[in-house]
Amino acid sequence: MTAALFENVGKVYKAGWFSRSGIPAIRDVSLTVPMGSVFGLLGPNRAGKTTLVKLLLSLARPTVGHVARFGEPISNRRTLSRVGYMHENHAFPRYLSAGEVLNFYGGLSGVSGEELPRRADALLERVGLADRKREPISRFSKGMVQRLGLAQALINEPDLLILDAPTEGLDLLGRHLLRDIAREFKAAGKTVLLVSHVLSEVEELCDEVAVLVAGRVAFRGTMAALTRDPATGAPRPLESALRPLYTQPETAE
Amino acid sequence: MNLPDIVRCVRWMIRDTFRQSIATKLFYVMVALIAVCTLLCASVRVTGDVAPTTYDWEVPALIPKDEAEKLGMDRVKNDGVRVISGEVSFGFGATKVPLGRTREDAVHFIQTWLAGWLADTAGVLLALLWTAGFLPTFLEPQSATVLLAKPAPRWAILLGKYLGVVGFVGFQATLFIGCTWVALGCATGVWSAAYWLAVPLLVLNFAVFYSVSVFLSVWTRSTVASAFGTLMFWMLCWLVDYSHLRMLGQPSGSLAPLSQFLMDAGYWILPKPLDLSGIFFDAMNAEALSSKPQELKVAESGGLHHPEWSVASSLAFAAGVLGLSAYEFKMTDY
Repeated sequence: MTAALFENVGKVYKAGWFSRSGIPAIRDVSLTVPMGSVFGLLGPNRAGKTTLVKLLLSLARPTVGHVARFGEPISNRRTLSRVGYMHENHAFPRYLSAGEVLNFYGGLSGVSGEELPRRADALLERVGLADRKREPISRFSKGMVQRLGLAQALINEPDLLILDAPTEGLDLLGRHLLRDIAREFKAAGKTVLLVSHVLSEVEELCDEVAVLVAGRVAFRGTMAALTRDPATGAPRPLESALRPLYTQPETAE
Repeated sequence: MNLPDIVRCVRWMIRDTFRQSIATKLFYVMVALIAVCTLLCASVRVTGDVAPTTYDWEVPALIPKDEAEKLGMDRVKNDGVRVISGEVSFGFGATKVPLGRTREDAVHFIQTWLAGWLADTAGVLLALLWTAGFLPTFLEPQSATVLLAKPAPRWAILLGKYLGVVGFVGFQATLFIGCTWVALGCATGVWSAAYWLAVPLLVLNFAVFYSVSVFLSVWTRSTVASAFGTLMFWMLCWLVDYSHLRMLGQPSGSLAPLSQFLMDAGYWILPKPLDLSGIFFDAMNAEALSSKPQELKVAESGGLHHPEWSVASSLAFAAGVLGLSAYEFKMTDY
């Protein structure tokens, strides 16, 4: 079974209420994210990475094509209970404490009332916020909010963890924690979809990658294939592999 | 998603909305206003009230005490004219008003003013302004993306938020009516059960207009558009309601058929804030205290005014607007 499937997917955002034209974000994207892998999604800014994630999370609907989660169409929201999502700029309700945030999002994810406090305490301990459980998050730093965002993404014990620029604002220990969690997911046969501009962590964690450029898939394959020099077959730094892909001219319509 | 999951989602949203409401500064302003009104009610004293009339049709002739003294008390009493000798005092005697009615009428008058004018107009408008920012804040992209990536259907999230806000305003209305009822009862010995009818009517009035606020929030994601749009809409509804009542008092055929049709259609489609106030006015038997608008009297005597239909059509409007909001919310990309 695949964790995520995109088949000839395109997405055009409305340009305005009265505009007939739209803004194309992704075009004819076909991708498969297999179970039990750490899958990296790379690309320059405005490549369509976040749009792809939004489609997978049912936050937006594709204009054309088919998107599936765990083999089910994304219109079936029940499969979202198996997904955890962390992004770079969390804005949790500022009137809640860290413990209340986890209870709220866990409750909405379908975690039972008996199970919630146990999981919330364990996760706050894991992300290093156990001593700040009752503190309003309006007093939290960006790094602390990111740690809470990670705990929130794990509260429903997901099979697919989507991390969109997750290390933004995290300190060294936070980044190590995130890498440990990604490795644990892989070892448990679960999936991580990682969207990041931090090449070192992508290189270290990902088995497979897809590179999006101007809304299209410019590369899809293993990390080893991406970093292999096509001329000599020798390994090369990831940055050297990505530069020609990022700067390739946009294909004419 | 099955029913228990939906109920759980709605319950979590209601709980979160209560938490959000308590965290706003305006909540404490509302509590302070309730405390001031309760204190005002507790300070009311009624003395020397006039005995009630024996028959409903009996209208006692009343004159103030100083005039009676000028004319001669014996002469006044012999003529069967009652002397206004009582007074209602507020602020523990700081302000006094002559009383020419029964103690019950005096308390009903205060309650009608508190619930019918202060809470139903100023209170509802203040609550609409207060809550207008709840949904736009909640729908900011950075907060909405995590929330909407949960398995709960979007309509259930919106319904939970709506019920949470209406429930919280209902709690405030109950607190206001309950506190002022107890304070007035303790101060005057008058315990009017009809006063409690104000709670469902206030909640209904707010719930109907808050549905418009929800729609504007989902559509524009702007607090300003939601707040001012809802206030403008409230004024429009009040004007249409009032104009319709005035038209009922006019002889038939005085309006062009198309204008008549548009007026009737506008009246029946839109919420009717004036009609809802009228229901409370009748329940409090407030006609003995302040005159009902002539237009409403004419409409009632002609059998043209149906409060039950006003309530039903206002509720239908709210349900329709909420349905539209849920559709818009479902179709929006985040």
